[in-house]
Amino acid sequence: MKEFDVLVVGGGASGLRAAIAAKGAGAKVALMSKVHPLRTNTGVAQGGLNAPLGNQDSPESFAEDTLLAGDGLCEPELVRGLTREASEEVIWLEHVGVPFNRDPEGRLDRRRFGANSHNRTCYADDRTGHIVLQVLHEQFQRAQIASFEEWYLTSLAVDGGTCLGAIGLGLRGGKLEAFGARAVVLATGGFTRLYLPSTASLGTTGDGLSLAFNAGAKLMDMEMIQFHPTVISKHPGLLITEAVLGEGAEIVDAKGERIHGTNGIPREKICRSIQQALQDGAESVCLDLRPIGKEKLISRFPQTHELVRAVAGMDISKEAVPIHPAAHRPMGGIETSAQGETSIAGLFAVGECASNGVNGAGRLAGNTLTEAMVFGRKVGEAAAGHAASAPKRSFPIARLSDEEKRLAALTSKEPANDSSGKIHTELGKLMSEKVGLIRDQGGLKLALEQIQELKARYQRLRVTNPSRIYNYQLTSHLEIGSLLCVAEVVALAAQARRESRGAHRRADFPARDDQNWRCHTLVSLVNSAPQLKQKPVGIPG
Amino acid sequence: MQVTFKVYRKDPEGDGKPGRSTFTVELPDDANVMDGLLKIRDEMDGSLAFRASCLRGYCGECTMRINGKATFACTAKVSAFTKKGPEITLDPLRNIPVIKDLVFDWDAFLWNKIKAVKPWLEPNEAPASGENLLPDSVMKDLRQVMSCYYCGLCDEGCTVLPVDFNFLGPAALTKAYRVAFDPRDRDGKERLRIAEQPKGVWDCVHCFEASEHCPRGIQPTERILALRDKAFKVGISHEKVARHHKSFAASVKDSGWVDEGRLALESEGLTNIKGLMKLLPTAARALVRGKAPLPYLHAKRPGADQIKRIFEKGEQEEK
Repeated sequence: MKEFDVLVVGGGASGLRAAIAAKGAGAKVALMSKVHPLRTNTGVAQGGLNAPLGNQDSPESFAEDTLLAGDGLCEPELVRGLTREASEEVIWLEHVGVPFNRDPEGRLDRRRFGANSHNRTCYADDRTGHIVLQVLHEQFQRAQIASFEEWYLTSLAVDGGTCLGAIGLGLRGGKLEAFGARAVVLATGGFTRLYLPSTASLGTTGDGLSLAFNAGAKLMDMEMIQFHPTVISKHPGLLITEAVLGEGAEIVDAKGERIHGTNGIPREKICRSIQQALQDGAESVCLDLRPIGKEKLISRFPQTHELVRAVAGMDISKEAVPIHPAAHRPMGGIETSAQGETSIAGLFAVGECASNGVNGAGRLAGNTLTEAMVFGRKVGEAAAGHAASAPKRSFPIARLSDEEKRLAALTSKEPANDSSGKIHTELGKLMSEKVGLIRDQGGLKLALEQIQELKARYQRLRVTNPSRIYNYQLTSHLEIGSLLCVAEVVALAAQARRESRGAHRRADFPARDDQNWRCHTLVSLVNSAPQLKQKPVGIPG
Repeated sequence: MQVTFKVYRKDPEGDGKPGRSTFTVELPDDANVMDGLLKIRDEMDGSLAFRASCLRGYCGECTMRINGKATFACTAKVSAFTKKGPEITLDPLRNIPVIKDLVFDWDAFLWNKIKAVKPWLEPNEAPASGENLLPDSVMKDLRQVMSCYYCGLCDEGCTVLPVDFNFLGPAALTKAYRVAFDPRDRDGKERLRIAEQPKGVWDCVHCFEASEHCPRGIQPTERILALRDKAFKVGISHEKVARHHKSFAASVKDSGWVDEGRLALESEGLTNIKGLMKLLPTAARALVRGKAPLPYLHAKRPGADQIKRIFEKGEQEEK
């Protein structure tokens, strides 16, 4: 068994930031990640991260824009915290080596992005996530934090409402190990693989949410899923950063005419404009980057140019690319306080897997990486603080053999005509159609029924590969289980919220209803069944 | 369309010997090799091991050799690889140890070597407030270097690694460049000292395969050469090869061509008695055959003065 003060699970931006902060606060820290940190989903982020550094800008203006994007559902205290501390975190990133783009005076350049009312998005070409991730990993290595790479988290050890650690499967060695920890920080990412086609990395399957939920934590605002407007329609799909719109790119129909209402406004409004255009009979909707100018395009968006060519065989400097909206990232997740505490003592959550209320019903473009930094640090420090004062309790080591048995029971040599891939394909299509951009009672009811059927099929499914070494069939199986858990909660929350707000659109309840619904949805397991409650905005967590 | 994949297999829990499995799958016309692999693992053989993450060319995780070409499975269109026939062979990268099937030992190949160059900034003292003021030209170069997604293709193409696996390799040395050339690092020399150690920059034979192989145009070979140049400039150059370079340049500057005798002596080091003694048998054989070049008594070539001026101009510009 391994023992640490703080175990951070997830090697993306928020996990690395939390681990560095916890170590800095004096804790004995370990990081567990199912892929190498440099292969995590953070690396696909492109546009940049917000900080109110401009002379005309201010944390107050930044807060206003964030609140507006959240459509009345943001927790104001958290928004104030984020917008006050954003600049410090971005400056820290610069000091430790992020080569942000600069203006002619050598200061951090900032681009106009999404519905930000000022130019406040600091960026590194169009690969901000990739570069920030590298610098975080550099500092993570400098801090000499124990790193368990390619270890898959299989269960949390929760006893009497307290988290005592976790059990992980080392893919290289094939061994299950117990990790005793006084604080576990889940930074396991979102669940966008729930929707197919998807813009997320293969492993973005809500594992942390599912484990926390099944251990007794609450999931908040799960119906709030942001769709991104500019995703290439050609397989396998590639997200083009919305920052191109700020630089002059246009969304046009097949005739080349600009589609009304597609620039400088929140993403979900752009998505609906595109959706509407397609429904009104447009054969396709395209993103035309040519107005940016070839030289500027290749210089400002080098990765976009390269990848569109590699993935879709198209040259964005010469032709417009067909696009469609696709599920991008969740605002919802494991309910946490401002310090990242969940309802389980010793269990923290941060980043995409967490929901502390800062996003409400819609996230301002450019806020994600900023949040990962600001809250990554806060939660890392809070976890270290908790570990320092928490009483020592022994890890329930019997859980390890229970886990061995559970995994062994999943294995069977009998060939099946079903598979986790097939279940995933059907689930992904179902969610896109019935729990997508626009929802209604009929579709949601059907979705819930079909999710139950898929769950039943999943229960009958077995893993044929008995090995534990790099057994991705096993990990995929577990990941589909996570997605099914998350799917049900998303559909339930979407069904419950009888209004339209931010990213959540009900065709049957098209208006915002502050009287009844200016509150978060909270789903938790009560007697093994999911139960939904409301939590009014503004109640301190 | 029907596609047949012939996939390299190796089972560390079996006999550990390399083998091959053949799978025929039905795939959509616009499928990538990765789609084929995922379908095989899902429906045909759950024991097939390969890594995947971003699925669209961002992250460097799924490199392998497809019909002999090292590239990413997730952006490799099946139709592009079946033009000459319906079979696609999938193999590990060159130079890389294999753990299981197409899961390679990235630790030994890449991650440990990168760690060895201490790939992080020890930041300078921060300015009183705000960011370090720096020109974008410097940041742009770093962004270019940091567009590296650790795909391993430069190390895959390297011609030194098959001979000496312990050579740090272009990927790790490019990472050393990233820190050594970042003005915000407190001690830029530290990385140069590391890169300059045995198995470092001086083991590169500048075959330029790394630069040929890099899909991002980062030019790892040029970065290694830049590290050498910088090492010279700050006086970290006591390795034999560095002496060799210095002597080579000095004699060409003086006389317009290489003074081989001087080169042999200065490469060993004029005070390196042991090293110089080793040269004696070679020197004796050369003398007997009338081929011994007399060091320092070396005739100037015609045009030597012009060559000297080129060197001087170059040295001026560097200042």
